[in-house]
Amino acid sequence: MIAFTDIVGMDLAKQALMLLAVDSELGGVVIPSAVGSGKSTIARAFAGILPEGTPFVELPLNVTEDRLIGGVDLEATLATGTRVVQHGVLSKAHGGVLYVDSISLLDSSAVSHIMDAISRGEVLVEREGLSEVHPAKFMLVGTYDPSDGEVRMGLLDRIGIIVPFTAQNDYRARKKIVNTVLGKRDEEDTRDELNMLTGLIQAAKEQLPHVSITKEQVQALIQTALSLGVEGNRVDIFTVRAALASAALAQRSDVDEEDMKQAIKLVLIPRATRMPEREAEANDMPPEEEPPPPDEEQEAEDEEAKSDTPDSEAEEEQKETPDMIEELMMDAIEMELPDNILNISLASKKKTTTGSRGEALNNKRGRFVRAQPGEMRSGKVALIPTLISAAPWQETRRRDKKLSNRPKTALIITKDDVKIKRFRDKSGTLFIFMVDASGSMALNRMRQAKGAVASLLQNAYVHRDQVSLISFRGKQAQVLLPPSQSVDRAKRELDVLPTGGGTPLASALYLGWETAKQARTKGISQIMFVLITDGRGNIGLQATFDPNAEKISKEDLEKEIEALSLSIQSDGIASIVVDTQMNYLSRGEAPKLAQKLGGRYFYLPNAKAEQIVEAALSF
Amino acid sequence: MNEFHGSRGEKESTKRSIMTQTETTAKKSVAAKVKAGSDVTVASEPKKAAKPAAKKKSGQAFPFTAIVGQEEMKLSLILNIIDPRIGGVLVMGHRGTGKSTTVRALAEVLPLIERVKDDTYNRTVDQFIEGEEAKKGQKAIDPTKLKTEKIPVPVVDLPLGATEDRVCGTIDIEQALTSGVKAFEPGLLAQANRGFLYIDEVNLLDDHLVDVLLDVAASGKNVVEREGISIRHPARFVLVGSGNPEEGELRPQLLDRFGLHARIITILDIAKRVDIVKRRREFDDDPDAFMKKYNREQLKLQKKIQTAKDLLPEVTMTDQVLTDIARLCMNLGIDGHRGELTITRTAFAHAAFLGQKEVTMKHVREIAGLCLRHRLRKDPLETLDAGEKIDRELAKVLGEAEAV
Repeated sequence: MIAFTDIVGMDLAKQALMLLAVDSELGGVVIPSAVGSGKSTIARAFAGILPEGTPFVELPLNVTEDRLIGGVDLEATLATGTRVVQHGVLSKAHGGVLYVDSISLLDSSAVSHIMDAISRGEVLVEREGLSEVHPAKFMLVGTYDPSDGEVRMGLLDRIGIIVPFTAQNDYRARKKIVNTVLGKRDEEDTRDELNMLTGLIQAAKEQLPHVSITKEQVQALIQTALSLGVEGNRVDIFTVRAALASAALAQRSDVDEEDMKQAIKLVLIPRATRMPEREAEANDMPPEEEPPPPDEEQEAEDEEAKSDTPDSEAEEEQKETPDMIEELMMDAIEMELPDNILNISLASKKKTTTGSRGEALNNKRGRFVRAQPGEMRSGKVALIPTLISAAPWQETRRRDKKLSNRPKTALIITKDDVKIKRFRDKSGTLFIFMVDASGSMALNRMRQAKGAVASLLQNAYVHRDQVSLISFRGKQAQVLLPPSQSVDRAKRELDVLPTGGGTPLASALYLGWETAKQARTKGISQIMFVLITDGRGNIGLQATFDPNAEKISKEDLEKEIEALSLSIQSDGIASIVVDTQMNYLSRGEAPKLAQKLGGRYFYLPNAKAEQIVEAALSF
Repeated sequence: MNEFHGSRGEKESTKRSIMTQTETTAKKSVAAKVKAGSDVTVASEPKKAAKPAAKKKSGQAFPFTAIVGQEEMKLSLILNIIDPRIGGVLVMGHRGTGKSTTVRALAEVLPLIERVKDDTYNRTVDQFIEGEEAKKGQKAIDPTKLKTEKIPVPVVDLPLGATEDRVCGTIDIEQALTSGVKAFEPGLLAQANRGFLYIDEVNLLDDHLVDVLLDVAASGKNVVEREGISIRHPARFVLVGSGNPEEGELRPQLLDRFGLHARIITILDIAKRVDIVKRRREFDDDPDAFMKKYNREQLKLQKKIQTAKDLLPEVTMTDQVLTDIARLCMNLGIDGHRGELTITRTAFAHAAFLGQKEVTMKHVREIAGLCLRHRLRKDPLETLDAGEKIDRELAKVLGEAEAV
């Protein structure tokens, strides 16, 4: 195994893990990173800088509920005749590290259990006649490849540090990594360095209770959270803790600017929903721009409320902080982050192509989660759990007169014993709307699409459907609404829809295809594309990756679309193309597109949202 | 007055810390192992695999009165304590805004209830007799022979990973193995009787558990049939759920079950947020000292709730107010009568909490949003906030009322 000190690059991740080692109350570290950049190496190396004997538990992605939470160990219970409790993975990580590789692929019920354990610091086991509480206070270290999809926000909210994503593109650094992996360095050096580091962390731990932070500094951090539009109040505590831990690492007793920058960088910025400068309202607004914050009004209200309070001292502080914050924040942002942090996950999606893993998981229709009582006809019988649940009753049942006149069998099984397999299967359909936001009809199409999304989500619960919306305009397509079931979220994300510019149809198809593949890895098998466009693309796929790409010829454009359509079709994705353009403008591109995709074409000039939904559902 | 309650309160709080919810359940006694059928014997006290000390978690809950802001949620919970018939509360909102902290803090300010001693179903004497005498071969029970005890209103946590048999109760597997005896082991629904049942991330709860909950919530009874045992016990509880709407929608039938719907948002006031950070750090550093600091306020709130509970039967409402409520619900196009009923009950409780004996439209105005928000038809394209819509209709109704 490679030692923590031998890892080249990933400085931010290393800093983050060291802060966590100093203050485990930070909850954990999430490291997004592209394939093969050594994210799992660094996570495993983390164990090496913790005190000896600290548990390090790796969570397998396909963990079942009883392994995760714990439960009755039936084998041992039957053997000994007394109830034997088996602790789950969460409780095994107590006092140590729970490591999840590809945390974004973890299924939602497992994520919920982890969230619950973090917020309680323990696991409630209420299963199979068992009622226990197991301590489960752990640091969560999660790594993932952003091209696999995002980590659930609720989980990120409970984890203190999120390392900003930066792709390791510097080939020299890569070379060094390779060298470290291949040519082992002097073991003695490594040991010395490791010892030094663990000593440093130990000293920082002792220093931590003696570090203080001023009220003004706390205010400045909170102000930063506000101006970045970070949701929730929990984050404040993490930010303050990160700043304190950073000061402790430097053996200081006061938090200084560097510590605050570190905290802003590792805790706040990755959660930003908007960038502080808001004056960029020019025509040339990049498509990535987030909708304006919905809570602006409230903020204004709060401001008012504040000026009402007679506390003049507080007012003065208020006046003083903004400059300082701005400076801090700008510094922190500029240091090593890409231009537009909000766009990171998307940017990374474009760089990577999904490997074979996504495909392998596609064939699964949901995953066996647990066995539960049920009718034999209503599902697949889980044989072993059924037998196990029947086993304890054999003695009593043999004595039971009602059952004893049955034909003699080795086992008396009643219908109460029958357990059926429960799969986590999202059998609903994912509707991916791709809306042409270019040209003059864009606003109209957007309104229609929004209406259709809303209408579909109304009944989403019943059908387990999800809806995603991709808009395409300018140079590239953009996921405005990732697959979601939430009306609230759709409402918020689709609040402002930028329109105008070129028509990057190929980019939309590509992004839609990627979204579809991600959804498949999460168990959604049925996917439908709903394209609302006149079918006239004029921007090539190349432009999506490279802003300086040359203009592409019409023939090549056609070929791109054809190739993409073929892949989409062969992945079993259904498509419909809805053309809402007035007839005299149409040149027949939309029907052609539908043909390429093996889908259906609907001509609905001035369509109402319901008509689009109808079309989507009829297919 | 303060002194008197101070001393009483102290006793109570010591008792409280001894009798934490989980410990009372750990004391599952002979009474809990229900006799069922003639071939079943009552088992002796089972040897539980040594319960870990971690069970005593309620001592670590952040004090309710130290929670900054989020008044809507706090009021909803308090009104439900005053009148449990309001039907519970659903708390939905942003991440990291103290939803579960607040609900878990609730236990410490709850009043006491009386139950038959060691009864796992928390039954009153009457309920106990009714339930036990219904069993085959059971002789009449003399109510004067029954011992009672006071316990804090139970708050039971239903974790997402709970299995159906633990929720409803099942047959004690250990006893079946060791002595071949079928003994019923009550589940979370039994523990929650006459108390609160809390589900965090309620919108992510498994469908089959939602089915169970809907069923029990509607009937107030839990029925378990297994291995020839048939158990039926009261299970009336105040359902409290919390979640983030962006993680998923709640099943409509379940949504409808909740009396109130509190919304919770990120606090944007810096001074308040500084305060939150300060209190949290103080609590983390020394929980005991922190609890002590808030002890007085906790007792004050507890007493205020008890006073309101006592006052509730005396509170009245004029027909005019009732008419206005009905008109409001009609104008908002709310289906069924649950809307009116909830508003009325909640307004009563609210008046009682404020120490007032007559419900006025002022009370109604303050709680109408809570009661109706989730009963409006959901229109994703509607730009007007549900609360604003209710306010607007309310103003109309009141305007009419004044004009007449």
